[in-house]
Amino acid sequence: MKIVREALAGTLESSDLMVRIAPKDGGLDIVLESEVIHQFGAQIEAVVRETLDRLGIDEGLVVVEDKGALDCVVRARIQTAVSRAVDEWTADWRALA
Amino acid sequence: MFDDLDVEYLDRRFEPGAFGEVESFLATNGLDLEDGVEVFVVLRAGRRIVACAGLEANIVKCVATDPLWRGEAISLRVVSEVVHLAHERGHSHLFLYTRPNNTAFFGGCGFRPIVEVPGLVTLMENTPIGIRRYCDSLRKLRRPGAVIGAVVINANPFTKGHRWLVERAAEACDWLHLFVVAEDASFFPYRDRYALVKAGVEDIERLTLHPGSEYMVSRATFSSYFFKEKNVVGDCFTAVDLLVFRDHIAPALGITHRYVGTEPFCPTTNKYNADMKYWLQADLSAAPPVTVVEIPRTEYGAVPISASEVRRLLAVSDFEHIERLVPPTTLQLLKANYATPKVSAA
Repeated sequence: MKIVREALAGTLESSDLMVRIAPKDGGLDIVLESEVIHQFGAQIEAVVRETLDRLGIDEGLVVVEDKGALDCVVRARIQTAVSRAVDEWTADWRALA
Repeated sequence: MFDDLDVEYLDRRFEPGAFGEVESFLATNGLDLEDGVEVFVVLRAGRRIVACAGLEANIVKCVATDPLWRGEAISLRVVSEVVHLAHERGHSHLFLYTRPNNTAFFGGCGFRPIVEVPGLVTLMENTPIGIRRYCDSLRKLRRPGAVIGAVVINANPFTKGHRWLVERAAEACDWLHLFVVAEDASFFPYRDRYALVKAGVEDIERLTLHPGSEYMVSRATFSSYFFKEKNVVGDCFTAVDLLVFRDHIAPALGITHRYVGTEPFCPTTNKYNADMKYWLQADLSAAPPVTVVEIPRTEYGAVPISASEVRRLLAVSDFEHIERLVPPTTLQLLKANYATPKVSAA
C-alpha cells in the first residue's frame, strides 16, 4: 500500500499516542517522541517498524508522539493512521493481529 | 474518569451567540477572545464549560482550562480534540502562540518551540521536524562567500522598485537569496506574484529565488501583517517573524545581510523595517546578528515607486501610468488578467 495523504490517529492522553503519517518518496522516515524514550524508545520504534512492514508500507513520514502506550495500542494506532492515509486498504486484518 | 465530559464544536458562522459564552469563560481565565477564531472546541461538564481551544486556520488560539478542573488529562484532551478538528478542516501543520512559561505544558501536547521573544511570547508548532526539515532543505542551497544577502518581498505585484532593490542588493553581496512571501492574503495570488518575480530577476546573476514558506511573513509568523487596517501591530509579532529569520533561516543559508527598501507610505512595513534593525542586529540571540541595509526606493518623477500605487492605478485601469512603474512582464500579466476594474483588497 502507498501513503497518499496526511492522516492522524490517536490522542495525547496518558497511555495513548498520536500518530501522524504523510506521503514521502524514498524510504521510511520515523520520528519518535516519547515520555519514556530512555526506557522504551527502541522497543516502540521496533513495534512501529514491524507494524508498517506487515502493512507493506515502505515509504512515508511517520511522526509518533507517545504517552506511554502499550505495544498493542501502538500497533492499533499505526494501523488506523495507515488505513486513513491510503486509497485502498489491501492488508488482511487477521494477519495483523 | 472524565467520560462524562461532552465535546462540542462551535463555529462562528453558525453559532455566533455561543461565542459570548466562550468569551466569558476565557475572561475568567484571564484571556481575551481573539479576533479571527473561526471555531472552538469546548468541553462541558453538564452545561458548564470546563475547557476550550480555538482555531484560526492553522493557528491554535485561546486555550483555557477551568482551574477547578485543571489536571493534565483534561487539557491534553482539549488540545487533542483541536488537533483532530484542524486536521478535518485541512490543516495538519499547526502553530500556536503562548507565554514562555506555558511551553512545557504545550510541549506535552506535541508542540515544539520555534522561537521565544524573551519574557513575552513563544511561537510553537505541532511537529518535531517542521522548522528543522525546512532548514535542512535550505542548507542544501548554501553558497560560498563572505557577504551572503537576503531579500524578502511580497511583490504585490512586482514593480521596477522591486527590481531596483534586488539589483542593488545583488551588487552588494557575493550571493543573494530572494524570497517571495507565500501567504495568499494579497490582491495578487502567490502564483502570479512568484511568476512575475521569476521573470523579473531572471537575468540577475548570483541569485537564488526561493518560494516563501510558513516560516516567513506568514499568517503564522506575522499574524498582524495582513490586517494593516488595525494599525496596532504588537511589538512581539514583528519580533517573532524576525527571530525565526535570525535563529533559523539565516544560519541555514549563512545569510549575513538583509536588504530592505525604505518605506515612505505604509506604516506597517515602515515599522517592520525599524523593528528589523533591532531584532536582527541587537545582542539578544544565540544566533549571529544579520546586518540590515536599507536601500532608498527608486523614484519615478519625484514619487517613490510602490506596489500599492500600481494597485491604485489598476483599479482605474490607468495602464499608461502603470507602464512607467512596472517591468514589461508585469505589465503584460496585468493587461491580460486584470484589465477590468477591481476593488483593491490590500
